[in-house]
Amino acid sequence: MSQAGRIDGGLIDRSQQIKFRFNGKWMRGFAGDTLASALLANGQLLVGRSFKYHRPRGVFTAGSEEPNALVQLRDGAHQEPNTRATMVELFDGLAATSQNHRGSLEYDLLAVNDLVSPFLSAGFYYKTFMWPKAFWEKLYEPVIRAAAGLGKLSMQNDPDAYDKGFLHCDLLVIGAGPSGLMAALTAARSGARIILADEDFRPGGRLNAETLEVAGMSGADWAAQAVAELSNMPNVRLMTRTTVYGAYDHGVYGALERCTDHLADSGGKPRQVLWRIFSKRAVLAAGATERPIAFGNNDRPGTMLAGAVRTYANRYGVTPGQQVAVFTNNDDGWRTAADLQAKGVNVPVVIDSRDKPATLNLPGVKHIAGEAVMDTVGRKGLKSITLTNGKVIPVDALAVSGGWNPNVHLTCHQRGRPTWRDDLCAFVPGGELPVGMTVAGAANGSMTLASALAEGHAEAAAQLKDIGFKAKKSDIPDAEDEPRDCAAFWHVGESKKRAWVDLQNDVTVKDIKLANTEGFRSVELLKRYTTMGMATDQGKTSNIAGLAILAEEAGKTIPEVGTTIFRPPYTPVPIGALAGRARGKDFRPYRLTPSHKWAEENGASFVTVGNWLRAEWYTRDGEKGWRDSVDREARMTRQSVGICDVTTLGKIDIQGKDAGAFLDKVYSNTFSTLPVGKVRYGLMLREDGICYDDGTTARMDENHYVMTTTTANAVLVFRRLEFARQCLWPNMDVHLISTTDGWAQFAVAGPNSRNLLRKVIDAEHDISNEAFPFMACGNITVCGGVPARLFRISFSGELAYEIAVPARYGNSMMGVLNEAGAEFDAVPYGTEALGVMRIEKGHATANELNGQTTALNIGLGKMVSQKKECIGQVLSQRPEMNRDDAIKLMGFRPVDRTRKLIAGSHFLNKHDPADMDHDQGWMTSVAYSPNLGHHIGLGFIKEGHARKGEIVRAVSPVHGVEMDVEIVSAHFVDPEGERLRG
Amino acid sequence: MSRLSRPTLLIQKGSVFVAEYTLIAEPPLAGYDETFGDMRLVAPADFALVSIALPLGREDKALKAIKTGYGVDLPEVGESILSKDGKVRLLRMAQDQAFVMFTHSKPDAAQVVSKKIKDSAYVTDQTDVWTALHLSGPSSRRALERICPIDLDTEAFAEGHVARTVMEHLGVVILRDAADSFVLLSASSSAGSFLHAVETSIHNVT
Repeated sequence: MSQAGRIDGGLIDRSQQIKFRFNGKWMRGFAGDTLASALLANGQLLVGRSFKYHRPRGVFTAGSEEPNALVQLRDGAHQEPNTRATMVELFDGLAATSQNHRGSLEYDLLAVNDLVSPFLSAGFYYKTFMWPKAFWEKLYEPVIRAAAGLGKLSMQNDPDAYDKGFLHCDLLVIGAGPSGLMAALTAARSGARIILADEDFRPGGRLNAETLEVAGMSGADWAAQAVAELSNMPNVRLMTRTTVYGAYDHGVYGALERCTDHLADSGGKPRQVLWRIFSKRAVLAAGATERPIAFGNNDRPGTMLAGAVRTYANRYGVTPGQQVAVFTNNDDGWRTAADLQAKGVNVPVVIDSRDKPATLNLPGVKHIAGEAVMDTVGRKGLKSITLTNGKVIPVDALAVSGGWNPNVHLTCHQRGRPTWRDDLCAFVPGGELPVGMTVAGAANGSMTLASALAEGHAEAAAQLKDIGFKAKKSDIPDAEDEPRDCAAFWHVGESKKRAWVDLQNDVTVKDIKLANTEGFRSVELLKRYTTMGMATDQGKTSNIAGLAILAEEAGKTIPEVGTTIFRPPYTPVPIGALAGRARGKDFRPYRLTPSHKWAEENGASFVTVGNWLRAEWYTRDGEKGWRDSVDREARMTRQSVGICDVTTLGKIDIQGKDAGAFLDKVYSNTFSTLPVGKVRYGLMLREDGICYDDGTTARMDENHYVMTTTTANAVLVFRRLEFARQCLWPNMDVHLISTTDGWAQFAVAGPNSRNLLRKVIDAEHDISNEAFPFMACGNITVCGGVPARLFRISFSGELAYEIAVPARYGNSMMGVLNEAGAEFDAVPYGTEALGVMRIEKGHATANELNGQTTALNIGLGKMVSQKKECIGQVLSQRPEMNRDDAIKLMGFRPVDRTRKLIAGSHFLNKHDPADMDHDQGWMTSVAYSPNLGHHIGLGFIKEGHARKGEIVRAVSPVHGVEMDVEIVSAHFVDPEGERLRG
Repeated sequence: MSRLSRPTLLIQKGSVFVAEYTLIAEPPLAGYDETFGDMRLVAPADFALVSIALPLGREDKALKAIKTGYGVDLPEVGESILSKDGKVRLLRMAQDQAFVMFTHSKPDAAQVVSKKIKDSAYVTDQTDVWTALHLSGPSSRRALERICPIDLDTEAFAEGHVARTVMEHLGVVILRDAADSFVLLSASSSAGSFLHAVETSIHNVT
C-alpha cells in the first residue's frame, strides 16, 4: 500500500489494514491510526473549512485540542457532527465527511466570505444588522446561522444507547502520561484503590509521541510496561478512552468513557458511559498543550503544531510533508526537527525567533535565528513561507511551536485562578485547587521528562499518606530533563496579512486589537465580543496567545489581564451521554396501582399523577368521548355504587405510646382524643400557618394510627413527620413507616356500597350502620380470611367506604368488587368522576390547598385548635390572615346554565373594571355535574359566606371569556350530609 | 368472568344466596428468574418483610426479646445478620428500626414476627410495600456500578452490610448477602421501572 504521507516506524499495526471513507472516497490506514493520522498518511491535508471565512483548513494538532479537523462521523441517524479527527480511532468501514462548506470541500461557494473579510471583523454582526430591528429574528439571524456554524445534525433520533455509572477510589489519576503513570504505579503498589483515566486509546501520553528514553528503553516501551503492570493489579481500574471532564465538590469527578466509538458497530451496548467518580484524593496529570504563534496566513493546510508533527512521525509513522520547516520560540521545537530528520524527512530550516545559538546540532538543517515567519503561500496546501527578512523558502509543511501551556483546566473548576510563571511563559495551577486534588508533571509546569516522573511519584506518595497508605519506595526510572527554554513571543508584528489566533472561530490578531480599541478590554468581554475561545475546542490552542496580545495592546502584563474562567466540560460531552439511559417510557420511573392490569383490561384510560398512572375513566361501548364516560361513572355511583382505586393516597403507619400526642402537634386538630376504631379528617399547616396537606387518620389501636395523605404530598408529609419526630420531639415514643404501596385501597361509594361489601367481607364482621357508623374503621377479613382494613369515609358525599387489602391481592380485589357489584350495576370510576363528585360535595384538594390558602379560607377555621400547640398554629393567627374580608371557599354556578365555567377565572363585581385592584377572588375547580345537569365550580371570593345569592362576573382574559355566576354553597349535593351517614 | 376472581361456592345468608370469592395473590415480579451470562436475577418467591421499631425507653427489653426469638443480637446500623437457624435475616436500618426478612407466603408476616419477639416492639408488615430482586454472579458488581451510587467494594460494603440508597430515582435498600450476591428492595408500585433499571444495567455489561 503506497501512502504519500506514510513513513517508517510508529506504534501502528501494519499487519492490520483498515478501509475507511472520507467524503465518499475510500482510503486505507492501519490499526492504531486516528482518522487524522490516516488522512495525513493519504496525503489529505485539506480536511475542512473554517467557521466564518470558509478558509481551507487541515489537521493542526494530534489531540483533543484540535480546532480545525472537525468532521461528521458515520452515516444516517448515527451521524455525529464536530467530531475531532485527531481523537477518532480508525475502524474498518469508518465514514467521515468534512463540514462547513457549500458545494464540495475543494470548491466551497461560501469561500466568498474570505474575499469580503475586511467587512467581517469582530462585532460585524452587532454593528451591521441593527436595522430594521424586526429583520434580526426573521431574516438576518437565520441567514447568518445557515452560513456559519459547524457540522450538521442528522435530525433523526439518536439510535445509540448511553449509560451512566458510579465509581469509587482512593486515588484518581487523571492522565496516563509520564507523571500520571508514575503516580498510578506508586499508588497501585501501595495497595490503594486507584483509577487511572486517559482520554487516549493508548496510555502513555507524550511517551508514545517522542523519542526520549525512560529507564534505558523507549518511552513508549516503558509506558507499555507500566500499563501491563497496572492492568494485572486488582486494585487498579485502567480507563482508556476516558476523559475526566469536570472537577466537582467533595472529590467527585465527571468522566466520559467512549466504549464503542472505536468500533464499527456497538452491538447494542452503550456507546458512551458518563461516570461519576467519587475519589478520596486525585492527582491531575493532564499534561500540557502546545500553542501556535500568530503570523500572516498561518492557517494553511500543512501548518501544524510542532509537537503534533512530531507525534504523527513518531507514533503514527506519518508526515504532513516532505519538506518541513520548523518555526519556534523555544527549545522544544528543535526536537521536532531532530525527530523528523531521524525519520528521513527533510527539514530545510529551523526558524527560531530567539537570537541565540541552536538548541540542537542538526547537520543539514539551516538555523535562522532572530527571525520569524510572516506569511505563507498555498491555498489548499502550504507551498512556501516568507520570513521577516524577506526570504521565501519552499516547503510543504510547517511545524510551529509557541511554547506549551499546562492543562490547568480542572484545577479551575471550582473558581481556582491559575498563576503566571515567567520562566515558562505560561499559567500554572494557582493556590485554590479543588479539595483533594494535587497536580503533577507538565500540568503543574514540570515540563521536562525526569521532573514529570519524579513529581508524579512524589504527589501520589503525599496523597496516599494523607489517606493512610504508605507509598513503597518505588524506583523512579532514569530519564533526562530536556532543554525547555522559551521566549515570550506571541505574534509576528511584521505580518501585514491576517494572522489567526483562534482557528476554530476565525479570530485574528486584528480582531483582538479591534476589541481593545472598542473598549472590550476585559478578557471575558474579549471572549464574548470576538468569540475567541468558544466552541468545541474552548480555545485550548488560542487563549493564551489571545490574552497576551490583548495585554500587549492594553499595556498590561499577562497576569494582569488574566484568563477567562475554565468550566466543565474539558472537552465536549454529547447530550446523549448526559441523558444516559433515560429516554422514552423509562425517562423516569412510573408507578402502577395494584389494579392497573384489571383497569387496562377493562377499558381504562390513564393519567399521570406524579409518577403514578391512574385510571382517569373507563370507556364503555357507545361512548363517544370522555365526558360520556365520566358523566356515567359519576351518575351511576350516586345512583347505585362505584369503585375507585385510591391506593395512590399516601399511607403512613404511626405507632408508639406518644403517637396521639404527636399527631396533635402535626395536625391542626386533635387526634389524641379519637377513640379506637374511629377515623378523623385532619388538616396540616406549614410553620407559616398556611395549609399544606389534608387527609384522614384512623386509630386502629391504642398506640397505632394509620394516616392518609394526598397523593402529591405523600413523600413530603412523611419527610416532615420524620423531621418532627427526630428533631423537634425526639423524646416522644413515636415511629413512622410508609405503607403506601403495601395496601391496595378502594373507594366503594354509593347507596349500594354496603350491600356490595357485604358480599366480600367475611360474615363475622358486622358493617351495619349501627355497628359500623360514619367515620368508623377496623381490621376485618375478606373473601375467606384475607386480612383487610375498612374505613367508613366518603370523598364523594355518598354512603361510602374505603377497603384495603394487602397490595398483592389488589388486582384480584378490583375484579371481585366489580363482579360482586354486577347485580347493583356497579361501575369502576376514575379520577375524573372522583373529581366531579368531590366538587359536587365541595371537598378541597390541591387546587384549593395551593400553598397560599389558610384553614379560614377553606372554611375550616375552627379546625385550628386553640386548646393545644401545633405546627403553624402561632403564625396562623397573624392579623392579615384573619381579615374580615378574607377570601372564602364557595360554590359558583353560571347564571346561564348552559355556559361552561373556566377554572382560573377571576371574580369581579358587576360594574368594576377587570384589573387586579378590583379582583374579588378566583375559580379553583370546575366540572360538569351530571347530577345537576350544568357546570359547577369552586372558588375563593372575598367575604364569601356573606354573599350567597349574589351575582358576580367570572372573567378569564386568557380565554377572552366573561360570564355572570351566582355565589352558592360549596356543597352542591347533600349539603346536610344525610347520604354519607345513611 | 375474570380469571383472577371466581365464585368458589354459593352460600346462604338469610334468605339470599351470595357468591363467595377468592383473592389471588399477584406480587408484581412474581416468578421472575433470568440468567444473563454469569449473572442470575431472581424475584424471590414468598418474600416477607416486617419492620420492627424499638419503643423509646424500652429498647433493652425489645433487643433481649429479639435475641431470644432469633438467637442473635440485632446488628449495628447498616449491617444485617442471619438468625441462629439461618432462616431469617435481621437488617438494622436505623437506631430504632430493623427489618426482618424471611420466606413466608401468608399475609400475616407481621403477626409472625410480633409473636417471635413477644410483642416487645412495634411491627409493621412491609411485605407488599417492597419488591425484591436478588442479583448474583461474578459480574453483579459491575452491573450495579451503573445505577448504585454507593461503593460496593468489599472493604467498604462487606458481606451482610445493608444501606438505603437511590437507583434511577428509585429508593432502594441494598444488602450484600454473599461476595457476589445482592438483595435489592424497592417500592412495589414501581417494580416495572425497578426491574428495567436492573436488567438494563445487566445488559449493558454483558
